[in-house]
Amino acid sequence: MKDENVKNHYLWDGSGEPDPETQRLEKLLGRYRHREGAEPDWSGVQPPLVAMPRLPRQSRGWRWLAAAAVLVALVGAGVWLTMRPEESWWQVVHVEGAPQMGDEAVDSTAALAPDQWLETDSNSRARLESLIGAVDIEPNTRLRLLRAGVTEHRLEMQRGTIHATIYAPARQFFVETPSATAVDLGCMYTLEVADSGAGRVEVTAGWVAFEMNGRESFIPAGAQCETRPEVGPGTPCFTDASENFKGALVRLDFEKLAPAERDGALKTILVEARPRDAFSLWHLLNRVDPVERPQVYDRLAQLAPPPDGVTRDAVLRGDRQALDLWWDALGHGDASWFRFWKRDLPQQTP
Amino acid sequence: MATLDNAIPQVSPARLGRGVLSDAPPAEAGADAGLVEAARAGDRAAFGRLYHRYAGVIHGLLLARVPRTEVDDLVQDVFLRAMGQLHTLRDAAFFPGWLCAIARNRANDFYRRRRPADELPEALPGKSTAEDAEARAALEAIRSLPEAYRETLILRLVEGLTGQEIAGRTGLTPGSVRVNLHRGMKLLREKLGRTES
Repeated sequence: MKDENVKNHYLWDGSGEPDPETQRLEKLLGRYRHREGAEPDWSGVQPPLVAMPRLPRQSRGWRWLAAAAVLVALVGAGVWLTMRPEESWWQVVHVEGAPQMGDEAVDSTAALAPDQWLETDSNSRARLESLIGAVDIEPNTRLRLLRAGVTEHRLEMQRGTIHATIYAPARQFFVETPSATAVDLGCMYTLEVADSGAGRVEVTAGWVAFEMNGRESFIPAGAQCETRPEVGPGTPCFTDASENFKGALVRLDFEKLAPAERDGALKTILVEARPRDAFSLWHLLNRVDPVERPQVYDRLAQLAPPPDGVTRDAVLRGDRQALDLWWDALGHGDASWFRFWKRDLPQQTP
Repeated sequence: MATLDNAIPQVSPARLGRGVLSDAPPAEAGADAGLVEAARAGDRAAFGRLYHRYAGVIHGLLLARVPRTEVDDLVQDVFLRAMGQLHTLRDAAFFPGWLCAIARNRANDFYRRRRPADELPEALPGKSTAEDAEARAALEAIRSLPEAYRETLILRLVEGLTGQEIAGRTGLTPGSVRVNLHRGMKLLREKLGRTES
Protein backbone atom coordinates (compact mmCIF):
# COMPACT_ATOMS: atom_id res chain seq x y z
CA MET A 1 0.00 0.00 0.00
CA LYS A 2 2.82 2.32 0.92
CA ASP A 3 4.54 1.44 -2.33
CA GLU A 4 1.35 2.29 -4.29
CA ASN A 5 1.08 5.69 -2.58
CA VAL A 6 4.69 6.48 -3.41
CA LYS A 7 4.01 5.66 -7.07
CA ASN A 8 0.82 7.73 -7.04
CA HIS A 9 2.58 10.81 -5.68
CA TYR A 10 5.31 10.55 -8.25
CA LEU A 11 2.90 9.94 -11.10
CA TRP A 12 0.80 12.93 -10.02
CA ASP A 13 3.44 15.62 -9.78
CA GLY A 14 6.88 14.08 -9.62
CA SER A 15 7.04 14.54 -5.88
CA GLY A 16 8.07 11.93 -3.35
CA GLU A 17 10.19 8.93 -4.00
CA PRO A 18 10.59 8.40 -7.75
CA ASP A 19 8.86 5.40 -9.28
CA PRO A 20 11.53 3.77 -11.49
CA GLU A 21 9.12 2.72 -14.22
CA THR A 22 7.49 6.14 -14.53
CA GLN A 23 10.95 7.69 -14.55
CA ARG A 24 12.08 5.41 -17.33
CA LEU A 25 9.03 6.22 -19.43
CA GLU A 26 9.58 9.94 -18.85
CA LYS A 27 13.16 9.63 -20.02
CA LEU A 28 12.20 7.56 -23.06
CA LEU A 29 9.26 9.68 -24.12
CA GLY A 30 10.75 13.08 -23.27
CA ARG A 31 12.37 13.08 -26.70
CA TYR A 32 8.93 13.72 -28.22
CA ARG A 33 8.24 16.75 -26.02
CA HIS A 34 7.26 20.08 -27.56
CA ARG A 35 10.43 22.09 -28.15
CA GLU A 36 10.23 25.65 -26.95
CA GLY A 37 11.21 27.63 -29.98
CA ALA A 38 10.63 30.98 -31.45
CA GLU A 39 7.04 32.11 -31.41
CA PRO A 40 5.38 31.72 -34.81
CA ASP A 41 5.13 34.86 -36.86
CA TRP A 42 1.58 36.07 -36.35
CA SER A 43 2.12 39.21 -38.36
CA GLY A 44 0.81 37.64 -41.55
CA VAL A 45 -2.47 36.75 -39.87
CA GLN A 46 -5.32 39.19 -39.94
CA PRO A 47 -7.76 37.95 -37.34
CA PRO A 48 -11.12 39.65 -37.24
CA LEU A 49 -10.36 40.84 -33.74
CA VAL A 50 -7.84 43.38 -35.01
CA ALA A 51 -8.92 46.55 -36.74
CA MET A 52 -7.80 46.59 -40.35
CA PRO A 53 -5.06 49.13 -41.02
CA ARG A 54 -6.03 52.20 -42.97
CA LEU A 55 -4.98 52.13 -46.55
CA PRO A 56 -2.34 54.72 -47.41
CA ARG A 57 -3.42 57.52 -49.68
CA GLN A 58 -3.23 56.19 -53.18
CA SER A 59 -4.50 56.97 -56.58
CA ARG A 60 -8.19 56.47 -57.31
CA GLY A 61 -7.41 53.40 -59.47
CA TRP A 62 -5.74 51.62 -56.57
CA ARG A 63 -8.67 52.39 -54.33
CA TRP A 64 -11.06 50.79 -56.80
CA LEU A 65 -8.80 47.78 -57.05
CA ALA A 66 -8.68 47.45 -53.24
CA ALA A 67 -12.46 47.79 -53.02
CA ALA A 68 -12.91 45.12 -55.69
CA ALA A 69 -10.55 42.79 -53.82
CA VAL A 70 -12.51 43.28 -50.60
CA LEU A 71 -15.76 42.61 -52.47
CA VAL A 72 -14.38 39.42 -53.98
CA ALA A 73 -13.15 38.30 -50.55
CA LEU A 74 -16.55 38.98 -48.98
CA VAL A 75 -18.41 37.14 -51.73
CA GLY A 76 -15.94 34.26 -51.45
CA ALA A 77 -16.42 34.08 -47.70
CA GLY A 78 -20.20 34.12 -48.15
CA VAL A 79 -20.08 31.35 -50.72
CA TRP A 80 -17.78 29.33 -48.49
CA LEU A 81 -20.04 29.76 -45.49
CA THR A 82 -23.11 28.62 -47.39
CA MET A 83 -21.51 25.87 -49.49
CA ARG A 84 -19.15 24.19 -47.04
CA PRO A 85 -20.23 20.67 -46.14
CA GLU A 86 -22.37 20.56 -43.04
CA GLU A 87 -20.84 17.21 -42.14
CA SER A 88 -17.68 19.01 -41.12
CA TRP A 89 -19.41 20.61 -38.15
CA TRP A 90 -19.73 17.63 -35.82
CA GLN A 91 -17.33 14.73 -35.50
CA VAL A 92 -18.14 11.57 -33.60
CA VAL A 93 -15.26 10.38 -31.48
CA HIS A 94 -15.18 6.87 -30.11
CA VAL A 95 -14.62 6.87 -26.36
CA GLU A 96 -15.56 3.39 -25.17
CA GLY A 97 -17.32 0.23 -26.38
CA ALA A 98 -19.03 0.14 -29.77
CA PRO A 99 -21.09 3.25 -30.52
CA GLN A 100 -23.16 2.83 -33.69
CA MET A 101 -23.69 5.45 -36.36
CA GLY A 102 -26.46 4.15 -38.53
CA ASP A 103 -25.46 0.54 -39.22
CA GLU A 104 -21.77 1.12 -38.72
CA ALA A 105 -19.66 0.94 -35.59
CA VAL A 106 -17.60 4.02 -34.80
CA ASP A 107 -14.12 2.80 -33.98
CA SER A 108 -12.17 6.05 -34.12
CA THR A 109 -13.72 9.19 -35.55
CA ALA A 110 -16.38 9.88 -38.14
CA ALA A 111 -18.46 12.78 -39.36
CA LEU A 112 -22.09 12.81 -38.23
CA ALA A 113 -24.32 13.69 -41.15
CA PRO A 114 -27.70 15.36 -40.74
CA ASP A 115 -30.47 12.82 -40.05
CA GLN A 116 -27.97 10.14 -39.11
CA TRP A 117 -28.63 8.43 -35.77
CA LEU A 118 -25.90 7.86 -33.24
CA GLU A 119 -26.54 5.22 -30.61
CA THR A 120 -24.62 3.87 -27.65
CA ASP A 121 -25.40 0.61 -25.89
CA SER A 122 -24.91 -0.12 -22.20
CA ASN A 123 -21.13 -0.42 -22.65
CA SER A 124 -20.49 2.42 -25.09
CA ARG A 125 -19.62 6.07 -24.89
CA ALA A 126 -18.90 8.60 -27.59
CA ARG A 127 -18.28 12.29 -27.94
CA LEU A 128 -19.49 14.79 -30.49
CA GLU A 129 -17.06 17.59 -31.17
CA SER A 130 -17.36 20.80 -33.08
CA LEU A 131 -15.90 24.26 -32.93
CA ILE A 132 -18.92 25.42 -30.96
CA GLY A 133 -18.38 22.85 -28.22
CA ALA A 134 -18.55 19.19 -27.31
CA VAL A 135 -21.26 16.73 -26.29
CA ASP A 136 -20.31 13.66 -24.27
CA ILE A 137 -22.70 10.80 -24.87
CA GLU A 138 -23.29 8.33 -22.08
CA PRO A 139 -24.35 4.66 -22.51
CA ASN A 140 -27.87 3.81 -23.74
CA THR A 141 -28.30 7.07 -25.63
CA ARG A 142 -29.87 7.59 -29.03
CA LEU A 143 -29.69 10.91 -30.86
CA ARG A 144 -29.33 12.39 -34.29
CA LEU A 145 -28.13 15.60 -35.86
CA LEU A 146 -30.99 17.61 -37.30
CA ARG A 147 -29.10 20.68 -38.39
CA ALA A 148 -25.55 22.02 -38.30
CA GLY A 149 -25.54 25.45 -39.82
CA VAL A 150 -23.65 28.66 -39.37
CA THR A 151 -26.09 30.03 -36.81
CA GLU A 152 -27.89 26.95 -35.54
CA HIS A 153 -26.92 23.48 -34.38
CA ARG A 154 -29.80 21.18 -33.50
CA LEU A 155 -29.85 17.63 -32.14
CA GLU A 156 -32.80 15.35 -31.51
CA MET A 157 -32.37 13.12 -28.48
CA GLN A 158 -34.68 10.17 -28.12
CA ARG A 159 -33.28 8.73 -24.90
CA GLY A 160 -30.19 8.59 -22.73
CA THR A 161 -27.82 11.08 -21.15
CA ILE A 162 -25.56 13.75 -22.60
CA HIS A 163 -23.22 16.34 -21.12
CA ALA A 164 -23.02 19.44 -23.31
CA THR A 165 -20.24 22.02 -23.15
CA ILE A 166 -21.01 24.82 -25.56
CA TYR A 167 -18.83 27.82 -26.39
CA ALA A 168 -21.01 29.42 -29.04
CA PRO A 169 -23.09 32.52 -28.42
CA ALA A 170 -26.42 31.92 -26.74
CA ARG A 171 -29.27 30.33 -28.66
CA GLN A 172 -27.20 28.54 -31.27
CA PHE A 173 -27.31 25.03 -29.83
CA PHE A 174 -30.61 23.19 -29.34
CA VAL A 175 -31.45 19.68 -28.21
CA GLU A 176 -34.98 18.52 -28.96
CA THR A 177 -36.39 15.84 -26.67
CA PRO A 178 -39.88 14.27 -26.69
CA SER A 179 -41.04 16.65 -23.98
CA ALA A 180 -39.04 19.87 -24.35
CA THR A 181 -36.30 21.61 -26.27
CA ALA A 182 -33.16 22.55 -24.35
CA VAL A 183 -31.83 25.89 -25.59
CA ASP A 184 -28.23 26.72 -24.76
CA LEU A 185 -27.88 30.19 -23.32
CA GLY A 186 -24.16 29.90 -22.80
CA CYS A 187 -23.53 26.93 -20.69
CA MET A 188 -22.58 23.48 -19.65
CA TYR A 189 -25.30 21.04 -18.72
CA THR A 190 -26.41 17.44 -18.39
CA LEU A 191 -29.60 16.33 -20.10
CA GLU A 192 -31.33 13.01 -19.40
CA VAL A 193 -34.24 11.55 -21.35
CA ALA A 194 -36.11 8.44 -20.20
CA ASP A 195 -37.76 5.94 -22.55
CA SER A 196 -41.10 7.47 -21.57
CA GLY A 197 -39.96 10.81 -23.01
CA ALA A 198 -39.69 12.45 -19.60
CA GLY A 199 -36.56 14.53 -19.22
CA ARG A 200 -34.40 16.38 -16.75
CA VAL A 201 -31.75 19.02 -17.24
CA GLU A 202 -29.16 19.99 -14.67
CA VAL A 203 -27.04 23.06 -15.37
CA THR A 204 -23.41 23.26 -14.29
CA ALA A 205 -22.45 26.63 -15.74
CA GLY A 206 -24.34 29.40 -17.51
CA TRP A 207 -28.04 29.04 -18.33
CA VAL A 208 -30.39 26.72 -20.22
CA ALA A 209 -33.91 27.48 -21.35
CA PHE A 210 -36.25 24.50 -21.45
CA GLU A 211 -39.27 25.17 -23.62
CA MET A 212 -42.23 23.49 -25.26
CA ASN A 213 -45.39 24.91 -26.78
CA GLY A 214 -44.88 28.31 -25.23
CA ARG A 215 -44.19 26.96 -21.75
CA GLU A 216 -40.64 27.62 -20.67
CA SER A 217 -38.25 27.61 -17.76
CA PHE A 218 -34.93 29.38 -17.29
CA ILE A 219 -32.42 27.28 -15.44
CA PRO A 220 -29.22 28.77 -14.02
CA ALA A 221 -26.07 27.02 -12.85
CA GLY A 222 -26.74 24.84 -9.84
CA ALA A 223 -30.38 24.30 -10.79
CA GLN A 224 -32.41 21.56 -12.44
CA CYS A 225 -35.71 21.21 -14.24
CA GLU A 226 -37.91 18.25 -15.08
CA THR A 227 -40.09 17.92 -18.15
CA ARG A 228 -42.89 15.56 -19.20
CA PRO A 229 -44.47 14.71 -22.54
CA GLU A 230 -47.62 16.69 -23.31
CA VAL A 231 -46.95 19.02 -20.37
CA GLY A 232 -43.55 20.49 -21.06
CA PRO A 233 -41.01 21.87 -18.62
CA GLY A 234 -41.88 22.09 -14.96
CA THR A 235 -40.76 24.65 -12.40
CA PRO A 236 -36.97 24.86 -12.11
CA CYS A 237 -35.33 24.60 -8.71
CA PHE A 238 -31.88 24.51 -7.20
CA THR A 239 -30.51 21.00 -6.83
CA ASP A 240 -29.72 21.63 -3.17
CA ALA A 241 -33.36 22.44 -2.33
CA SER A 242 -35.01 20.05 0.11
CA GLU A 243 -36.34 16.77 -1.24
CA ASN A 244 -39.80 17.74 0.02
CA PHE A 245 -39.64 20.97 -1.94
CA LYS A 246 -38.50 19.28 -5.14
CA GLY A 247 -41.02 16.43 -4.78
CA ALA A 248 -43.90 18.83 -4.21
CA LEU A 249 -42.93 20.84 -7.28
CA VAL A 250 -43.00 17.68 -9.42
CA ARG A 251 -46.42 16.73 -8.04
CA LEU A 252 -47.82 20.19 -8.64
CA ASP A 253 -46.33 20.46 -12.11
CA PHE A 254 -47.13 17.03 -13.52
CA GLU A 255 -49.62 15.04 -11.47
CA LYS A 256 -53.38 15.17 -11.57
CA LEU A 257 -54.10 15.97 -7.93
CA ALA A 258 -57.33 16.24 -6.00
CA PRO A 259 -57.87 19.80 -4.66
CA ALA A 260 -56.75 18.83 -1.16
CA GLU A 261 -53.62 17.12 -2.48
CA ARG A 262 -52.82 20.08 -4.65
CA ASP A 263 -53.26 22.42 -1.73
CA GLY A 264 -50.94 20.21 0.34
CA ALA A 265 -48.25 20.21 -2.34
CA LEU A 266 -48.39 23.99 -2.66
CA LYS A 267 -48.17 24.44 1.09
CA THR A 268 -45.11 22.17 1.24
CA ILE A 269 -43.43 24.25 -1.45
CA LEU A 270 -44.15 27.52 0.32
CA VAL A 271 -43.08 26.25 3.74
CA GLU A 272 -39.90 24.57 2.52
CA ALA A 273 -38.79 27.44 0.29
CA ARG A 274 -35.55 29.15 1.33
CA PRO A 275 -34.61 32.67 0.24
CA ARG A 276 -32.56 31.07 -2.52
CA ASP A 277 -35.71 29.30 -3.76
CA ALA A 278 -37.39 32.62 -4.54
CA PHE A 279 -36.27 31.93 -8.09
CA SER A 280 -38.55 28.85 -8.19
CA LEU A 281 -41.47 30.76 -6.68
CA TRP A 282 -41.07 33.47 -9.31
CA HIS A 283 -41.52 30.79 -12.01
CA LEU A 284 -44.42 29.33 -10.03
CA LEU A 285 -46.36 32.60 -10.26
CA ASN A 286 -46.98 31.72 -13.89
CA ARG A 287 -47.83 28.09 -13.24
CA VAL A 288 -50.40 28.06 -10.45
CA ASP A 289 -54.11 28.72 -10.75
CA PRO A 290 -55.20 32.36 -10.29
CA VAL A 291 -56.73 31.50 -6.92
CA GLU A 292 -53.43 30.07 -5.71
CA ARG A 293 -51.34 32.98 -6.95
CA PRO A 294 -51.79 35.25 -3.90
CA GLN A 295 -50.25 32.58 -1.62
CA VAL A 296 -47.21 32.32 -3.89
CA TYR A 297 -46.95 36.12 -4.06
CA ASP A 298 -47.02 36.47 -0.27
CA ARG A 299 -44.30 33.88 0.33
CA LEU A 300 -42.14 35.24 -2.48
CA ALA A 301 -42.52 38.76 -1.05
CA GLN A 302 -41.40 37.42 2.32
CA LEU A 303 -38.29 35.77 0.93
CA ALA A 304 -37.36 38.48 -1.56
CA PRO A 305 -39.38 41.67 -1.05
CA PRO A 306 -40.55 43.22 -4.32
CA PRO A 307 -38.59 46.30 -5.39
CA ASP A 308 -40.07 49.78 -5.66
CA GLY A 309 -42.63 50.01 -8.41
CA VAL A 310 -43.79 46.40 -8.12
CA THR A 311 -47.23 46.13 -6.59
CA ARG A 312 -49.19 43.09 -5.51
CA ASP A 313 -52.00 43.92 -7.93
CA ALA A 314 -49.62 44.22 -10.86
CA VAL A 315 -48.00 40.86 -10.13
CA LEU A 316 -51.32 39.08 -9.60
CA ARG A 317 -52.64 40.28 -12.92
CA GLY A 318 -49.42 39.14 -14.62
CA ASP A 319 -48.02 42.54 -15.50
CA ARG A 320 -44.85 41.80 -17.43
CA GLN A 321 -42.99 44.91 -16.38
CA ALA A 322 -43.65 44.20 -12.71
CA LEU A 323 -42.53 40.59 -13.07
CA ASP A 324 -39.38 41.67 -14.89
CA LEU A 325 -38.50 44.20 -12.20
CA TRP A 326 -38.96 41.59 -9.53
CA TRP A 327 -36.82 39.13 -11.46
CA ASP A 328 -34.07 41.73 -11.72
CA ALA A 329 -34.19 42.13 -7.96
CA LEU A 330 -33.69 38.40 -7.41
CA GLY A 331 -30.06 38.77 -8.41
CA HIS A 332 -30.01 36.36 -11.35
CA GLY A 333 -29.24 38.94 -13.98
CA ASP A 334 -31.30 41.45 -15.84
CA ALA A 335 -34.58 40.20 -17.32
CA SER A 336 -33.82 42.15 -20.47
CA TRP A 337 -31.10 39.61 -21.08
CA PHE A 338 -33.47 36.74 -21.74
CA ARG A 339 -36.05 39.06 -23.21
CA PHE A 340 -33.39 39.91 -25.76
CA TRP A 341 -32.94 36.37 -26.90
CA LYS A 342 -36.53 35.36 -26.58
CA ARG A 343 -38.10 38.77 -27.21
CA ASP A 344 -41.47 37.49 -26.15
CA LEU A 345 -41.91 35.69 -22.86
CA PRO A 346 -45.40 34.18 -22.68
CA GLN A 347 -47.86 36.08 -20.55
CA GLN A 348 -49.37 34.20 -17.68
CA THR A 349 -52.82 32.83 -18.09
CA PRO A 350 -55.43 35.18 -16.66
CA MET B 1 -33.48 46.41 -4.58
CA ALA B 2 -34.06 43.17 -2.75
CA THR B 3 -31.30 40.65 -2.55
CA LEU B 4 -31.33 37.00 -1.67
CA ASP B 5 -29.60 35.68 1.42
CA ASN B 6 -27.92 32.94 -0.52
CA ALA B 7 -26.24 33.87 -3.74
CA ILE B 8 -26.07 31.43 -6.63
CA PRO B 9 -22.92 29.36 -6.19
CA GLN B 10 -20.23 30.69 -8.45
CA VAL B 11 -18.85 27.80 -10.40
CA SER B 12 -15.33 27.79 -11.69
CA PRO B 13 -15.60 28.86 -15.30
CA ALA B 14 -12.92 26.54 -16.63
CA ARG B 15 -14.63 24.39 -19.21
CA LEU B 16 -14.08 20.74 -19.44
CA GLY B 17 -14.26 18.33 -22.28
CA ARG B 18 -16.35 15.93 -20.26
CA GLY B 19 -18.93 18.03 -18.64
CA VAL B 20 -17.40 18.60 -15.22
CA LEU B 21 -15.80 21.64 -13.73
CA SER B 22 -12.17 22.15 -12.97
CA ASP B 23 -10.97 23.53 -9.69
CA ALA B 24 -7.84 24.88 -11.32
CA PRO B 25 -6.00 27.43 -9.19
CA PRO B 26 -8.01 30.65 -9.51
CA ALA B 27 -4.92 32.85 -9.82
CA GLU B 28 -3.68 30.86 -12.80
CA ALA B 29 -7.11 30.78 -14.45
CA GLY B 30 -7.54 34.50 -13.82
CA ALA B 31 -4.18 35.35 -15.33
CA ASP B 32 -5.00 33.37 -18.47
CA ALA B 33 -8.39 35.02 -18.75
CA GLY B 34 -6.64 38.39 -18.64
CA LEU B 35 -4.31 37.33 -21.45
CA VAL B 36 -7.26 36.09 -23.49
CA GLU B 37 -9.08 39.39 -23.05
CA ALA B 38 -5.97 41.28 -24.10
CA ALA B 39 -5.44 39.00 -27.10
CA ARG B 40 -9.06 39.46 -28.07
CA ALA B 41 -8.50 43.20 -28.04
CA GLY B 42 -5.70 42.74 -30.57
CA ASP B 43 -2.68 42.41 -28.28
CA ARG B 44 -0.33 40.09 -30.20
CA ALA B 45 2.11 39.86 -27.30
CA ALA B 46 -0.65 38.53 -25.09
CA PHE B 47 -1.52 35.92 -27.70
CA GLY B 48 2.18 35.03 -27.85
CA ARG B 49 2.20 34.41 -24.12
CA LEU B 50 -0.84 32.19 -24.45
CA TYR B 51 0.98 30.32 -27.20
CA HIS B 52 4.00 29.68 -25.00
CA ARG B 53 1.79 28.63 -22.14
CA TYR B 54 -0.44 26.22 -24.07
CA ALA B 55 1.77 25.01 -26.94
CA GLY B 56 2.93 21.99 -24.93
CA VAL B 57 -0.61 20.93 -24.10
CA ILE B 58 -1.74 21.26 -27.71
CA HIS B 59 1.36 19.41 -28.86
CA GLY B 60 0.50 16.60 -26.46
CA LEU B 61 -3.15 16.38 -27.51
CA LEU B 62 -2.12 16.21 -31.16
CA LEU B 63 0.65 13.71 -30.51
CA ALA B 64 -2.01 11.47 -28.97
CA ARG B 65 -3.87 11.47 -32.27
CA VAL B 66 -1.76 12.17 -35.35
CA PRO B 67 1.63 11.04 -36.71
CA ARG B 68 4.60 12.68 -35.03
CA THR B 69 5.84 14.18 -38.25
CA GLU B 70 2.66 16.21 -38.56
CA VAL B 71 2.36 17.48 -35.01
CA ASP B 72 4.48 20.64 -35.14
CA ASP B 73 2.68 22.01 -38.19
CA LEU B 74 -0.68 21.22 -36.68
CA VAL B 75 0.22 22.96 -33.41
CA GLN B 76 0.78 26.17 -35.34
CA ASP B 77 -2.38 25.60 -37.31
CA VAL B 78 -4.40 25.22 -34.12
CA PHE B 79 -3.11 28.53 -32.78
CA LEU B 80 -3.73 30.27 -36.08
CA ARG B 81 -7.31 29.01 -36.03
CA ALA B 82 -7.67 30.04 -32.43
CA MET B 83 -6.40 33.51 -33.19
CA GLY B 84 -8.85 33.88 -36.04
CA GLN B 85 -11.77 32.70 -33.94
CA LEU B 86 -10.93 34.22 -30.60
CA HIS B 87 -13.71 36.76 -31.01
CA THR B 88 -16.26 33.90 -30.97
CA LEU B 89 -15.16 32.71 -27.53
CA ARG B 90 -17.89 33.96 -25.26
CA ASP B 91 -16.08 33.81 -21.95
CA ALA B 92 -12.32 34.22 -21.68
CA ALA B 93 -12.22 31.80 -18.78
CA PHE B 94 -13.34 28.99 -21.09
CA PHE B 95 -10.17 29.35 -23.17
CA PRO B 96 -8.42 26.10 -22.09
CA GLY B 97 -11.30 23.80 -23.01
CA TRP B 98 -12.05 25.79 -26.15
CA LEU B 99 -8.46 25.59 -27.37
CA CYS B 100 -8.33 21.84 -26.66
CA ALA B 101 -11.55 21.39 -28.63
CA ILE B 102 -9.96 23.16 -31.60
CA ALA B 103 -6.95 20.84 -31.36
CA ARG B 104 -9.11 17.70 -31.25
CA ASN B 105 -11.15 18.95 -34.18
CA ARG B 106 -8.03 19.75 -36.14
CA ALA B 107 -6.74 16.23 -35.54
CA ASN B 108 -10.06 14.81 -36.76
CA ASP B 109 -9.92 17.04 -39.83
CA PHE B 110 -6.43 15.78 -40.51
CA TYR B 111 -7.70 12.23 -40.92
CA ARG B 112 -10.80 13.28 -42.78
CA ARG B 113 -8.80 15.20 -45.38
CA ARG B 114 -5.93 12.77 -45.73
CA ARG B 115 -5.92 10.76 -48.90
CA PRO B 116 -5.97 7.01 -48.21
CA ALA B 117 -2.81 6.55 -50.29
CA ASP B 118 -0.80 9.04 -48.21
CA GLU B 119 1.99 7.36 -46.37
CA LEU B 120 2.72 8.74 -42.95
CA PRO B 121 6.09 7.51 -41.76
CA GLU B 122 6.32 7.41 -37.98
CA ALA B 123 10.04 6.76 -37.84
CA LEU B 124 12.17 9.72 -38.77
CA PRO B 125 15.03 8.99 -41.16
CA GLY B 126 18.45 8.60 -39.62
CA LYS B 127 20.26 6.36 -37.23
CA SER B 128 17.90 4.51 -34.93
CA THR B 129 18.97 3.02 -31.63
CA ALA B 130 17.37 0.35 -29.50
CA GLU B 131 16.23 3.11 -27.17
CA ASP B 132 14.55 4.91 -30.08
CA ALA B 133 12.70 1.73 -30.91
CA GLU B 134 11.64 1.32 -27.30
CA ALA B 135 10.44 4.93 -27.20
CA ARG B 136 8.39 4.41 -30.36
CA ALA B 137 6.89 1.24 -28.92
CA ALA B 138 5.97 3.05 -25.68
CA LEU B 139 4.38 5.92 -27.61
CA GLU B 140 2.41 3.50 -29.78
CA ALA B 141 1.27 1.62 -26.67
CA ILE B 142 -0.05 4.88 -25.18
CA ARG B 143 -1.76 5.78 -28.44
CA SER B 144 -3.61 2.48 -28.42
CA LEU B 145 -5.23 3.29 -25.07
CA PRO B 146 -8.70 4.85 -24.74
CA GLU B 147 -8.63 8.53 -25.57
CA ALA B 148 -8.94 9.95 -22.05
CA TYR B 149 -5.99 7.89 -20.77
CA ARG B 150 -4.00 8.52 -23.92
CA GLU B 151 -4.16 12.30 -23.68
CA THR B 152 -3.48 12.47 -19.96
CA LEU B 153 -0.53 10.07 -20.07
CA ILE B 154 1.09 11.91 -22.96
CA LEU B 155 0.73 15.24 -21.18
CA ARG B 156 2.34 13.74 -18.07
CA LEU B 157 5.03 11.48 -19.54
CA VAL B 158 5.90 13.31 -22.75
CA GLU B 159 5.15 16.96 -22.03
CA GLY B 160 6.20 16.69 -18.39
CA LEU B 161 3.16 18.47 -16.92
CA THR B 162 2.01 17.72 -13.38
CA GLY B 163 -1.51 16.47 -12.73
CA GLN B 164 -2.56 19.90 -11.52
CA GLU B 165 -1.15 21.58 -14.63
CA ILE B 166 -2.94 19.10 -16.89
CA ALA B 167 -6.20 19.91 -15.14
CA GLY B 168 -5.71 23.68 -15.38
CA ARG B 169 -4.76 23.67 -19.04
CA THR B 170 -7.27 21.19 -20.41
CA GLY B 171 -10.28 22.00 -18.28
CA LEU B 172 -10.44 18.51 -16.70
CA THR B 173 -10.93 18.24 -12.94
CA PRO B 174 -7.90 17.20 -10.91
CA GLY B 175 -9.94 14.17 -9.85
CA SER B 176 -10.48 13.06 -13.44
CA VAL B 177 -6.83 13.61 -14.26
CA ARG B 178 -5.77 11.52 -11.26
CA VAL B 179 -8.10 8.67 -12.28
CA ASN B 180 -6.97 8.84 -15.91
CA LEU B 181 -3.32 8.78 -14.91
CA HIS B 182 -3.63 5.79 -12.64
CA ARG B 183 -5.94 3.72 -14.82
CA GLY B 184 -3.97 4.68 -17.92
CA MET B 185 -0.68 3.73 -16.31
CA LYS B 186 -2.10 0.37 -15.28
CA LEU B 187 -3.24 -0.33 -18.85
CA LEU B 188 0.06 0.89 -20.22
CA ARG B 189 2.00 -1.51 -18.01
CA GLU B 190 -0.19 -4.34 -19.29
CA LYS B 191 0.39 -3.27 -22.89
CA LEU B 192 4.12 -3.13 -22.37
CA GLY B 193 4.01 -6.57 -20.80
CA ARG B 194 5.09 -5.37 -17.40
CA THR B 195 3.46 -6.30 -14.15
CA GLU B 196 2.85 -4.04 -11.18
CA SER B 197 5.84 -4.30 -8.94
